[in-house]
Amino acid sequence: MLKLDAVTVRFGGLTALSDVSFEIPQGEILGLVGPNGAGKTTLFNSISGLVKARGQITFDGKNVIRLPLHRRARVGIGRTFQIPQPMHHLSVRENLAVAQVFGAGRYDPKRIDEILTVMELSHKADADAASALALQELKRLEIAKALATEPKLLLLDEVLAGLESNAKRTFMLKLRELHRLFGLTIVIVEHDIETISELCTRAVVLNFGQLIADGTPAEVFANPAVMESYTGTAHA
Amino acid sequence: MSHSASHPAAGSPAGSSTARGIALGAGLLVLALVPLMVGASPYMLGLLISALILAGLALSWALLGNLGGMVSFGHAAFFGVGAYASALLAARLNVPVLLAIPIGGLFATLSSLAMLPALRLSGPYFALAILAYAQIFRILATELDWLTGGAAGLQRFPSLPTVFGLDLSERAGSYVLVLACVVLFALVYVVIRRSHVGTALRAIAESEDATRVVGVNATVLKTWMLLLSAFIAGVFGALNAHIIGFLEPDYAFSGIWSVMPIIAAVFGGYRTVLGPIVGAVVIYLFDQVVAKSLIPVGHQILLGIVLAVMVLVAPNGLSGLVARLFPRSEKHHAEA
Amino acid sequence: MTELVLQALFSGVLIGGVYALVALGLALAFGAMRIINLAHGELVLLAAYMAYLVESRTGLDPYFAIPLALIVVGVASWILFLLVDRIKDHRELNSLILTFAIGIILTNAILLLFASDVRTTSSAFLQDAVSFGDVYAMRGELIAFVLALVLMGVLWWWLKSSWYGRAVRAVSSNRGAAQLMGINPTRIETVSFLVAGALASFAGIALYTMSVVQPATGHALTVKAFIITVLAGVGSIPGVFLGAVLLGLTEALTVTFASSALQELAGMVLFLLVLFFMPNGLFGARARRG
Repeated sequence: MLKLDAVTVRFGGLTALSDVSFEIPQGEILGLVGPNGAGKTTLFNSISGLVKARGQITFDGKNVIRLPLHRRARVGIGRTFQIPQPMHHLSVRENLAVAQVFGAGRYDPKRIDEILTVMELSHKADADAASALALQELKRLEIAKALATEPKLLLLDEVLAGLESNAKRTFMLKLRELHRLFGLTIVIVEHDIETISELCTRAVVLNFGQLIADGTPAEVFANPAVMESYTGTAHA
Repeated sequence: MSHSASHPAAGSPAGSSTARGIALGAGLLVLALVPLMVGASPYMLGLLISALILAGLALSWALLGNLGGMVSFGHAAFFGVGAYASALLAARLNVPVLLAIPIGGLFATLSSLAMLPALRLSGPYFALAILAYAQIFRILATELDWLTGGAAGLQRFPSLPTVFGLDLSERAGSYVLVLACVVLFALVYVVIRRSHVGTALRAIAESEDATRVVGVNATVLKTWMLLLSAFIAGVFGALNAHIIGFLEPDYAFSGIWSVMPIIAAVFGGYRTVLGPIVGAVVIYLFDQVVAKSLIPVGHQILLGIVLAVMVLVAPNGLSGLVARLFPRSEKHHAEA
Repeated sequence: MTELVLQALFSGVLIGGVYALVALGLALAFGAMRIINLAHGELVLLAAYMAYLVESRTGLDPYFAIPLALIVVGVASWILFLLVDRIKDHRELNSLILTFAIGIILTNAILLLFASDVRTTSSAFLQDAVSFGDVYAMRGELIAFVLALVLMGVLWWWLKSSWYGRAVRAVSSNRGAAQLMGINPTRIETVSFLVAGALASFAGIALYTMSVVQPATGHALTVKAFIITVLAGVGSIPGVFLGAVLLGLTEALTVTFASSALQELAGMVLFLLVLFFMPNGLFGARARRG
């Protein structure tokens, strides 16, 4: 459903992504792996339209690389930010309503309530999103907002970071539930090898803006080049 | 009138913001009808009509500032275009005045289309670009004398008609008409602000990326606000033209029409709907009745001082002060 | 015909020098504080009226008003800075409105003190014509232009070589980093506003000796200065000078070939054309999009 073909991003003289190509079939949960600065967030930014990229990004059979940011949300690409970005001055419910009305093109308060329930935010529905939520709640709101746009593809940027192991396990179950419930295709940025191995059917590894490995988590993590780029960055 | 207009706001009981808003609006509306009931002098009614024209203009400025996030130093452009378009339509093409006025508004909207490229500019650049537009329109109105009568101005164009036995060209009739327009556009503003568009616009100001990434086209929404703001300003420009029955470029496009709405809206609180309206009435009456008698030439110095003091001491205007003195219910406290 | 064009070009370049001084003051304050001082033109106007005051009361040459103008405009600029510095929320928007309000106050204060009449120097020495072949200039215009060039040179040297100048540049390019280096931004901002005030003083007096002033001139000057910074960007002194000369030429040619009523229109049109078609300015200024 998503196909990247020679995606390249340059910031001035710096090449943040160079010739990245891979494909994600419908329904997959793909782990995006790599050390800090490898280009993972830049890849998300280029898929969701936050940075200009060269190459081809085909989503549902259409090249979306020229679509502006807001149009990508409407064709079904949802994303979260590593540092949560709630819409300021809006309540949690209003955050979802804006996402739904503009991202999905319809207003359905019942569905918003469902999303709030699934993401365990019902008790904070009318609280101010930017000031009254704890960090983990903000991370759940990030996902809830993305879900409200009714995406087919969900890009999750380090949503599991900073959770202790029990909470992480619960949250992984939650992601599986979302995956099934909403029929999603998911790409998740995550450092932890065990998490990737357990959650994902496939992993793609970036290093210095280049794709260096692509395969099942077992294959990828058996690759010496991957381990070399990887040791010491996150899995200590 | 001026101090009594701001009183009910201060005294209204705590409650939900909707009920509070409706109560406030209704209270002000009743107050606004008092001058008619007690038979205010024509001079007083004339002052109030001008104050309400300014209120409409301030409302249109605040809508652009609050919802669109744009400071305009050139609302005189829309005001003047609305005035000239309506007057010319009525005089040259015999368009009925009450139809010519909204068409005048549409012409102002049309003129704002020329400003769309300015929307992608950030704060001060937009503000100054729109100021440049206002100057250009004033000069055009002077130079295109075959159409506008040039610097000499337009004198013979129809005044407001009589509708259902109410002569709108009389002071009392004009007052009711202008008041109705202010109320109408205030309601439009309220409806937009409470809509999803209004909610999204509220978010854009501080979280542009987060808002766009869920599918909001910020530029399009801001464009709508500019077009609407121009329309409202144009309508009040047209109303004013037919009421005073005289137009010249230096008057219709005067910098006053850019400056006064800013002072009125900032004074009243431009982030609210009622703020600009109350602010306009207070500021206009203060300027005409107090400032002008104290300092016949240069009375605007007092307005400048009021504006500077407000920005420094109470950047949210009168309504911000009221909110500080009379906090709302606990629910809103918890959110704040 | 050729003489007309040459004369227009010459006058345009001469007024461009003073415009550059006005614009540099605006750019300096913008560089330090990231705010557009909408009262900057009124500071220039204030200086012009100090020249008028000195000339009309003492009969001395307007340039003897320099010390008085430096003091009055310097104090005004400093007060302006202190007020702007008090703004904490929505700084960009509120500082625009505040400086706009101060502009209204200054314009009307001048109107109250000096009436709305158009003023210019009565010095025969300054108004004497000097000819260069087919083109003429008033002596006042030439002196003002030379003065502007000298001041630009001094400013250039000051920004490049002095400790304060370096600190000003450091603060404009990266406030946080400058603070880490031990630079006190408030002090640098104060100095920037004072230097902007000094430039405004000279510009105002020069303007009075070569052109006419009235209370409404201040606002028009702010707009012109802003147009120039859009043309040139706020980055470099030569850029601002070129932008100022370009505006001066555009105005002079418009007056010669169309009418003086269209003078301001020409500047505005130039401004809008550059804004829309060359959003990075004529000389590649920094981005100004939202």
